[in-house]
Amino acid sequence: MAETKKYWKGLEELSGSAAVQALRENEFASELPVDRFLSDDKNLNSSSTSRRDFLKFLGFSTAAAALAACEAPVVESIPYVVKPDNLVPGIPSYYASTYFDGSDFASILVKTREGRPIKVDPNPQALINGSTNARVQASVLSLYDTQRLKRPVVGGAETTWNALDGKVSEAIRSATASGKSVVLLSSTVNSPSYLAMIEQIRGSYANFRHVSYDALSVSGKLDACEKFTGLRALPVYSIGDANLVVGVDADFLNEANGQSLSGEYGKRRKPSASMLRHVQFESVMSLTGANADKRYRILPSQRPAVLAGIYNAIAAKAGQERINAPTLDGDWNKVVAKTADELWIHRSSSLVLAGGGDYESEMLALGINQMLGNFGKTVVLKYRNRLRTGDETALQGLANDLKSGSVGVLILDRCNPAYDRPAMAELLSKAGMLVGISNHLDESASLATAVAPSHHYLEDWADHQPFEGYFAMQQPVIRPLFDSRSSMESIDRWFGLGSKSALQRVKDHWISTQFAGDSEAWNRFVHDGLYIAFDSIGQLSEPALVDGMASMKELSLSSNSAGAKGLELSVYSKAGMGTGRLANNPWLQELPDPISRASWDNYLTMSASDAKELGIENTTQSNGALNGTRVNIKTAEGQVLESVPVLIQPGQAKGSVGLAIGYGRTKAGKVGDGVGVNAFALLSGSSLNKHFMSGLSIEPVEGEHEFACVQLHHTMMGRDIVRETTLSDFLNRPAVDGGSGWNERTQFETYAGPLTADKANLWKDFDHSTGHFWNLSIDLSSCIGCGACVVACHAENNVPVVGKEEVRKSRDMHWLRIDRYFSSDMNESVAEEEGVSAIDMFRQMEDPSENPQVVFQPVMCQHCNHAPCETVCPVAATSHSAEGLNHMAYNRCIGTRYCANNCPYKVRRFNWFLYHENQEQFDINYAMNDDLGRMVLNPDVTVRSRGVMEKCSMCVQRTQYAKLEAKKAGRPLRDGEANTACAQACDTGALVFGDANDPQSKIALAKKDDRMYYLLDEVGTQPSVFYQVKVRNNA
Amino acid sequence: MDTTENLKVGELTSAHHSAHVAETPVLSAMFRDDDDLLSAVKAVRAKGYVVAEAYTPFPVHGLDRAMGLKETRIAIAAFFYGALGLSTAIAMTYYMMIVDWPQNIGGKPSFTYAMNMPAFVPILFELTVFFAAHLMVWTFFVRNGLYPGRKAQNPDPRTTDDHFLLEVEIKGERSALESLMKQHGAVELH
Amino acid sequence: MHYEAPVREPLVLGNKSYHDVTVEVARPIETAPPRSWWIAFSIALLLFLWGVGNILYTIGYGIGTWGLNKTVGWAWDITNFVWWVGIGHAGTLISAVLLLFRQKWRMAINRSAEAMTIFSVIQAALFPGIHMGRIWLAYFVFPIPNQFGSLWVNFNSPLLWDVFAISTYFSVSLVFWYVGLIPDFAMLRDRAVKPVQKHIYGILSFGWGGKAKHWQRFEEVSLVLAGLATPLVLSVHTIVSMDFATSVIPGWHTTIFPPYFVAGAIFSGFAMVQTLLIIMRKMFKMEHYITIQHIEMMNIIIMVTGSIVGVAYITELFIAWYSGVEYEQYAFLNRATGPYWWAYWSMMTCNVFSPQFMWFKKLRTNLIFTFIISIVVNIGMWFERFVIIVTSLHRDYLPSSWTMFAPTSVDIAIYLGTIGFFFVLFLLYARTFPVIAQAELKTILKSSGEEQKKHHSDHDGHH
Repeated sequence: MAETKKYWKGLEELSGSAAVQALRENEFASELPVDRFLSDDKNLNSSSTSRRDFLKFLGFSTAAAALAACEAPVVESIPYVVKPDNLVPGIPSYYASTYFDGSDFASILVKTREGRPIKVDPNPQALINGSTNARVQASVLSLYDTQRLKRPVVGGAETTWNALDGKVSEAIRSATASGKSVVLLSSTVNSPSYLAMIEQIRGSYANFRHVSYDALSVSGKLDACEKFTGLRALPVYSIGDANLVVGVDADFLNEANGQSLSGEYGKRRKPSASMLRHVQFESVMSLTGANADKRYRILPSQRPAVLAGIYNAIAAKAGQERINAPTLDGDWNKVVAKTADELWIHRSSSLVLAGGGDYESEMLALGINQMLGNFGKTVVLKYRNRLRTGDETALQGLANDLKSGSVGVLILDRCNPAYDRPAMAELLSKAGMLVGISNHLDESASLATAVAPSHHYLEDWADHQPFEGYFAMQQPVIRPLFDSRSSMESIDRWFGLGSKSALQRVKDHWISTQFAGDSEAWNRFVHDGLYIAFDSIGQLSEPALVDGMASMKELSLSSNSAGAKGLELSVYSKAGMGTGRLANNPWLQELPDPISRASWDNYLTMSASDAKELGIENTTQSNGALNGTRVNIKTAEGQVLESVPVLIQPGQAKGSVGLAIGYGRTKAGKVGDGVGVNAFALLSGSSLNKHFMSGLSIEPVEGEHEFACVQLHHTMMGRDIVRETTLSDFLNRPAVDGGSGWNERTQFETYAGPLTADKANLWKDFDHSTGHFWNLSIDLSSCIGCGACVVACHAENNVPVVGKEEVRKSRDMHWLRIDRYFSSDMNESVAEEEGVSAIDMFRQMEDPSENPQVVFQPVMCQHCNHAPCETVCPVAATSHSAEGLNHMAYNRCIGTRYCANNCPYKVRRFNWFLYHENQEQFDINYAMNDDLGRMVLNPDVTVRSRGVMEKCSMCVQRTQYAKLEAKKAGRPLRDGEANTACAQACDTGALVFGDANDPQSKIALAKKDDRMYYLLDEVGTQPSVFYQVKVRNNA
Repeated sequence: MDTTENLKVGELTSAHHSAHVAETPVLSAMFRDDDDLLSAVKAVRAKGYVVAEAYTPFPVHGLDRAMGLKETRIAIAAFFYGALGLSTAIAMTYYMMIVDWPQNIGGKPSFTYAMNMPAFVPILFELTVFFAAHLMVWTFFVRNGLYPGRKAQNPDPRTTDDHFLLEVEIKGERSALESLMKQHGAVELH
Repeated sequence: MHYEAPVREPLVLGNKSYHDVTVEVARPIETAPPRSWWIAFSIALLLFLWGVGNILYTIGYGIGTWGLNKTVGWAWDITNFVWWVGIGHAGTLISAVLLLFRQKWRMAINRSAEAMTIFSVIQAALFPGIHMGRIWLAYFVFPIPNQFGSLWVNFNSPLLWDVFAISTYFSVSLVFWYVGLIPDFAMLRDRAVKPVQKHIYGILSFGWGGKAKHWQRFEEVSLVLAGLATPLVLSVHTIVSMDFATSVIPGWHTTIFPPYFVAGAIFSGFAMVQTLLIIMRKMFKMEHYITIQHIEMMNIIIMVTGSIVGVAYITELFIAWYSGVEYEQYAFLNRATGPYWWAYWSMMTCNVFSPQFMWFKKLRTNLIFTFIISIVVNIGMWFERFVIIVTSLHRDYLPSSWTMFAPTSVDIAIYLGTIGFFFVLFLLYARTFPVIAQAELKTILKSSGEEQKKHHSDHDGHH
């Protein structure tokens, strides 16, 4: 019979109290509040999220990445280093991924700790663009930018995805119905699956159109290439196969057309009989020009003329017919002829690169390269570059349609025309409905009716085809932090393509096409981040060459506008800021420009003589800060830019000025807003492609501009700081030759005969011959000064950002700085000849030449083995390790600053204020001052407190980690296992780190090199860091 | 001079020198001039009297010799204090820099004390002086029984101004001694 | 007992008896302070409080509130430190060295000079403290183990030598001063009529009674202390100078520093003594004790030390040129002709040229002139330290790091604050302490007093 007896758990139950009843009903008294905080707008939007929320985020993302069972994006992502326990706390995992923001492309490895991406490293497997420039290095910080767009927005109000999707697809439907066009505007797209999706849309929507453009347009170049190859794509340059590169206004080291050339360039600049020679014609002193062996200053408008001159000279030699070129005056003809001769000598192993984005220049450059037989050698047409495919004419067409009001829906996918095409700003609103896909509410998105927040690239799936037949995979490394969505997914939903997730779309595309159902191949692709559809370039079919030369004759070259009055202005992009997409990234804002050493600014670069004529000056303030005159600019077309600061720039061509793009953002966020002026505002019509304009009028205005320039002295004052020699001397003369060699060490006369500083020694030295002895070699021939190492150091070592005001007071915190010196017309021998007094000599030594030679010198803590800083610390907070490193015990430091005073290299940095958890003072330093930003901090490195001295530790945390790994594996440490962040980020191979006690190591060889020298050797500090003499190829 | 003043002095004297008074009575003579005091001291000692004590407002030169006081050995003590300071300093620097935790500080040789010692010379010197000076002054206070809150040692307040008080143990006829004092310029006698 | 040739100028003027001395030394303490004192005191107090406020602000926000930067890590802080230490030299020097040389003229001034020493060393000691980034950990500079066992200080560091030198100098000067004060406190105690005063001075005087044996020990102790203090006073600035001399910075790395700093210290110290005594002399009507002769003597010392300093400056320039080291050469060229030329030339004018006027007796016996020069000299000595520290740092080895320094309001406030603090202490001292070592002075009244001298020369002329 049925059991009716009831066992009650206690008197309360017997008495049947309501509470007990309730408890019995639901086992879990209270639910976990996860959904609540996710749906709580206030919490998520307030830039200063509470500690609790921070912990929630942290817990959430960690869980997402760690619990590889429940979260889809993480399941598919495969660690680069395959370890069963790849998420042990304290042990980093690396994921291969890809960075592409429409201008910069890089194959990267993302270092994650406890599920948080904290560092971007280059992917060594990549054949091309496997390097990380400053922007890419810094990109990880933007992931934790609290000012990212966090939720869908419609009509300025936050809403749900469903609401937004409904509204947009409705608009698309009605537009289609009313025969209006639907346009998708984006920056360059090379994602196969994205392009496939566009095809799909086109199939079902006749009124749909995709327009892409590049912030700094090279549309004209593309047209030129089409003339030669029939394909609208730039060639790939193989600078490694060149012995001579001639750049005409081409800032190719700064990835002007997407391809990263610095790596090969740096390696080919290592001195040898076949060392690459570099000749540069340019107006603005660019990163590229600064590295040239010979640099000629030309007006931007002379670019075609110079190219044409070279063209004709070569044509004469090659028996091709000349073209009618604008005339050059006497001296230039000589220069051009000389250059042409050099090029002719290096037939098929030379390379001519044209700057700007205009048709004429590129036509000439291609023509020259073809006549020189460089096609297929240094100019690889079959291995095409798909990183710049923007089409200005299409964009112009769109502008016209917008004017005529025939655009029903305009979708902006992660592009910002309101900023980089200011002329379009008001046209945008003419679209029936403006839809923005963006991860900031930027200048354009803020105009849109509906804004769909897009993922940060580290949260998103995508594939890329940067070069023909060369594919890259972008896999997410963290669960989306906000309620954002992949742009592919958004577009998919709006056009009703079956609401595929980005992952599904990409995966399906690859499985169905390339991999033909081979999911193994897919896994490999995701794992490597790369897929190369051919084994060797040979497998690619050479494009059928159209006779480009035929269309040479039609070239109508604007004559050298020397006659035109007014200055010429050319726009350029800085190594730090690029096109300004990452304007809200404090690491990049604080990175000093390699040439001007000014941070937090863009400015008009002007030659000293022009400045003199216009009564413009730069003055040093009593506290060492730099001030400058402001001017108003007016172009011939009538664009006006007001109160633009002027920086006097040695090497700037007289009669021309330069202005960097990427600044003057108004809706980038608290960091980027109001920094500098917007150079795009000056570009219009032809100048969009030419990147320069003539007939500029400038008049100074009231008020001084305050620069944040970290270097006030531009010359070496005749000191032996950067050693330099010529290639001929390097090849033909001994380094050490009784005082007359090109790399002599200072000798001291002692009772024991002449001794070098390290031998002329008062006491017995410590023995560093056993165990590890960490050394760093810096090759001044290879270093191009790009600054990637500086940002890498920021990210690796939690170096604080201090903001413009503090940098202005010479309180920048960079552990690693890149000193830049200009040559001066005055030196001791000149002084002797002209009988100049010592006082005047030193005065004049301070002024750089009008067109100086430039040297870059990275300086970090030299880890002296006789360290002046160690001796003077009263509390022994800094002392030497057995491995030759100069250690800093932060929590022992009392901050007397005696060490910094006594450092001959001035590499020690003092925490003048509390830089972290100090919102009211250092809000812009969000990597340390808000809970989300702090997620980027490297858990292996202490965040230094106020009043403490800090400095380069030679990434001791990395060497320790590598040593432990080796120990666990029970084997000696291999060369290259331990590497500093700077050396790892260095694309040109200028920085080499390693154990000098390991005779096989690269560093040991570098130490034996003839070019090796110590900075300030004669002071007797015996550094562990050494430099390699810079060699100029003066062939 | 008036009696109240006298009386006060008497009290003070007895208060102070009760011990003295117990054994042998003393005659206190007040002088107005240091030279008179000196001559008096010489005279009474010539006559075989024992000078118990002299209170002066300032160091009267030759008084100690006249009274036949022994040379003070405080300077010798100071020397040993100095030696102590020096050895303390040596021990400290040796232990801290060489024995307990030898570090590589700027490459300075912390292998042996001899090699590293030159860097410690200032410390050695300073501690020597420090010990010598302070311990000597402490000794000075202890030996003189000086300490905060100590009652004034001088029987008559005027002896810190311009009076000189001489205490002689009475032997035989008090009057003889008194007259001797008077003739050497004593202005008061008790 | 001591006799002196009557031709010598008397050290104490006016027909003074022992009692007069007592009365006149005690007068400032027993009478109410004049208005001038109150005015001076309140000004000093305001400055002091302003300085304290700014020190607290610095500690609250960080050293960033000063004008320093990555290249110039020391400026006004250490400049002021060295300046005050320098001033703090004259006192001990006067009492110790002059005592060893039996210079009786010291007796009128040594008390105040020592007081000045102690008060200025207090100011000096302030700066190494507050210039630390983390002053709350200042105890790290003492050789004490931490909770995890041995964690010692670095005895190789000149800054640590400073810690020992300054603390030794301060404490030894203090006891030296105090031992001298005891008999005078006893005098005040025995004169005091108000019970509170009597009690306080009773405590301060340690019950001193002036027994013969005690006087004997007293003189011995003073002598030995003087013997110890003399090398000590020379060592202090030697060690301070080593902060710079042992470094590698061009312009700091100079072997001439120790003697040059000591000379400079005596120079500035005596100048400060002049400044104070000339005021005190007027305020307390002590013309009879602090005579023109004292002033003149000190002016001569100022002139001599000033010239020594001048020679040092020129030697520096010569050695820089002679060394052939480009960094050294530039460092000194930059001092004289660089952006801080004005500092260098104010230093030269104030320290080297101005004391040369003292060659003329008319000028060195003129109070107003002496007073002005004494102030000019201390301005010059401040600039000397500024020049050494800032112009050496702001352009050292690598031009890429060259920059400039400008003080902030906080820098200035703290400096003025210490001046205020100094005068607060000195003014209080002047109203509550025997400003003249009366006991000592009484010993020379016979030999060097005016009356006695007259009396000597009247009858027995054979002296």
